[in-house]
Amino acid sequence: MASGTAQVRRIAGLRVQVDPALVPALATGAVLAFLALYPTVMLFVGSFSDAPLGVAGRFTLAHYAAAYGDPHTYRLIGSSVVFAAGASALSLALAGALAWITVRTNAPGRGLFELVALAPNVLPPLLIATSWVLLLSPRIGLFNLAVVQRLGLPPLNVYSMPGMIFVEGLVLAPLAFLVIAGALRSMDPSLEESARIAGSTSLQTARRITTPLVLPALLAAGILNFVRAIESFDVPAIIALPARIEVLTTKIFREALAEYPPNHNLAAAYAMSLLAITMAFVYVYRRLVGRTERFATITGRGYRPQAIDLGGWRYAASAVALLILGLIVLLPIGVLVLTSLLPFYEVPTRETLQALTGKHYVYLMENDRVARALRLSVTLATVGATLAMLLSSVVAYLTVRTRVPGRGVLEVLAFVPWAFPGTALAIGLLWGYVRFPVPLYATIWILLIAYITRFLPYGLRTMTSTMVQVHGELEEASRICGAGLARTFRRILLPLLRPGFAAGWVILATIFLREFSTSLFLYTPRSEPVGPLLYHLWLDGHQGRMAALGVVISLTSLAMVVAARRAMGRLQAG
Amino acid sequence: MRAGRIVSAVSACLLGGVLVSWGSDALAQADLVGAARREGRVVVYGSLETDVFEVIQKIFEGRYGVRVEYWRAASNRVTDRVLTEARAGRPQFDVVLTNRSPMLIMKRAGVFGKYTAPSYEAFPVATHDPDGILSPSYRVVVVSILFNTRLLRPDDAPKSLAELLDSRWKGKVVMPDPTQHTTTAVWLSNLQKVLGPQHRPFVERIAGQVGLVESFIPSAQKVIAGEFPLGISYVKYVHVFGQDGAPLDYVRLNPVLAEAHHVALGARPDHPNAGKLFIDLLTSRLGLLALARAGEFVLVPGVYPPIRDADKLRIVMMDDLDDAELRKFREEFGRYFLRR
Repeated sequence: MASGTAQVRRIAGLRVQVDPALVPALATGAVLAFLALYPTVMLFVGSFSDAPLGVAGRFTLAHYAAAYGDPHTYRLIGSSVVFAAGASALSLALAGALAWITVRTNAPGRGLFELVALAPNVLPPLLIATSWVLLLSPRIGLFNLAVVQRLGLPPLNVYSMPGMIFVEGLVLAPLAFLVIAGALRSMDPSLEESARIAGSTSLQTARRITTPLVLPALLAAGILNFVRAIESFDVPAIIALPARIEVLTTKIFREALAEYPPNHNLAAAYAMSLLAITMAFVYVYRRLVGRTERFATITGRGYRPQAIDLGGWRYAASAVALLILGLIVLLPIGVLVLTSLLPFYEVPTRETLQALTGKHYVYLMENDRVARALRLSVTLATVGATLAMLLSSVVAYLTVRTRVPGRGVLEVLAFVPWAFPGTALAIGLLWGYVRFPVPLYATIWILLIAYITRFLPYGLRTMTSTMVQVHGELEEASRICGAGLARTFRRILLPLLRPGFAAGWVILATIFLREFSTSLFLYTPRSEPVGPLLYHLWLDGHQGRMAALGVVISLTSLAMVVAARRAMGRLQAG
Repeated sequence: MRAGRIVSAVSACLLGGVLVSWGSDALAQADLVGAARREGRVVVYGSLETDVFEVIQKIFEGRYGVRVEYWRAASNRVTDRVLTEARAGRPQFDVVLTNRSPMLIMKRAGVFGKYTAPSYEAFPVATHDPDGILSPSYRVVVVSILFNTRLLRPDDAPKSLAELLDSRWKGKVVMPDPTQHTTTAVWLSNLQKVLGPQHRPFVERIAGQVGLVESFIPSAQKVIAGEFPLGISYVKYVHVFGQDGAPLDYVRLNPVLAEAHHVALGARPDHPNAGKLFIDLLTSRLGLLALARAGEFVLVPGVYPPIRDADKLRIVMMDDLDDAELRKFREEFGRYFLRR
């Protein structure tokens, strides 16, 4: 590894071998340790304390006894694993197929597909879950009434474990799409071309060549989505409760957070098991992608992205992509648009459609609070995503490209806060920053810190999976030509990593734009982003306004994605 | 004649006293308004729906030129945030308003200061807080059975809670999950007052009849959308959502149970005068009438929300459940609602 070359220096008269990556690694480690460990330590200490924050407490194991003394907890961990594994697998299958069709083939309309696929990533899962309830409720589901009933089949029931897995899988698919599409875009197609020259069909090439090449990205997306699903509360809250199904997060909410007063200490004790599960997955992931050279496809030999010609099958590929997009985007967003145009939601009839109204959009336009929230969220999304991606790039570089001691710790640190459910992490952040000597609490800075802390792994996974594809020989050439670590990083690696950087930026920006579970604990009336605003419209029962705001956020998000891609394109051309 | 002079003198004294009192009240009010304007804003944490809150906010800002910043959340989140900030010594709120149970918890935690608004005198003495911390219960939320008028005619709707147990309603009633929604647990527990010995069998059996959601608003929304013809929720939603044409009506239970709401000033508010002024307005006749027009049941004799038969309801206040009682109720009845 180029940058891992140790330099011999004289310190206090002693000859010391110094890795040039050591100083940046220590600095990055300090930043990550602060971001990750500060709220985590708060949660950890809280889980062993018999008193809430700010009150001197004594050591106790009572919260652990309450959480893990109940045999039901273990059954729920099992249910959560089934739910998360199912949802993650479904999201990978849908996103993998869609990404391959849009990035690597000549299927007609692929540019539009890619843009449309990003839309749901900006919608809070709460909105998507609500939309699917309106589509697949046994009594009033539009899909059931319009399709299933006409076919004479029994209605599909969203209120079931398969229903939960289906909806969560669709919620997670856009994120997987972004990660996989980023990796496919970074891939050197010469291996695929060789396979075809050797007589393989397109499908054989996809299975034998493309899939192994994007395996790190598939694993990254799978692990990201598994953990995201296991800590997910929104979809279970909407679907599991009416179905009388319980998963770990609904149990945490019921026993710890819905109490008067909420028992944060118990929530923290529960969160520790999720931390353990996630850390186990991070370990497995690191083992799996440990042999990075195996996946290196961007080498000094050239890099020429080229679409695979599917011939007559390209229309079938477009049809498959449209079907997937119908599920993850068109149907839920269609219901959202319909809801935003109805005075209140009910099954549409001719009479209802005559009552269509634009009043929810008028409300959004006339309300200063909405404009303020949108401005704040766009700022948080652009600034936060850029900072998080820069930090991710440095961490990914240090962990993948160097041999600096303790580099694995950096990645683990980045993953620690992400391992908690959003609400639990928010408690840790609240506990930490409300007492922090620098007055960050009740400012937009705490939101920025919270977003970067919680979602850094999304950027990190994208950058790491892209970085492992870039062969070390390019950096070696740079170093041989006399460039230092920083210069090599800036001049060689960053340009090669642009697709991954852009994919990560888009993931983070779209998530930051609508984030609410952490924001809810940390925002004030003076710093209210759109996520909490959406949540409050839901809380107040304004489904129409909430849907209208959802549509506006989707359009804002798409505008940001288009602008980001154009900017990235200009940089690449430059 | 002498007696007449005494009466005149006493009358003059009383009148003078009233005038002096009125004058000093007016002066105090003028001082409070001036001080509040100098503070510039007031921060309110509460669980009152934003649209309803904005009715008061507009009056307050229009009248005094003091900006109101409202942080709205579910009552358990309000409690959580208030306690966290107070314990950390960084309270950001001046005023807190939510339902009785969490207000009592926060009061016991010492996060409120003493304040008695002039308007409190107009409330029945029984509703006054003996410690002078919480306001009287200036509004109440009434819980009943809501139904979708497109799916059910009023004659076909159940007439009592006991009728909900009829097999024809199985799976057609929606209600918040009492194992996670505290007001519903408090309501079910207080049904003892209404159902007497039938209370326990009712709670056990209703658990098998209903679909569950997280709180009263989703319950009302599922009824409006037609997913369930019947739901347990707040009567005020008949007006709140009915304004948009939602097909919603309610069963005139006799009696109906209601939970009290209170407001209080923070113990260490950054804007104490603006906070006091806000409480004054909220609990004044002007504020209460505005709340009533927005659909709230307020404690002003003869004033009702624009909901049919609101004036005929016999409202019985729910008793508060403390932490231990709530836990006991959930342990006793929660298993009927949790299918494990």
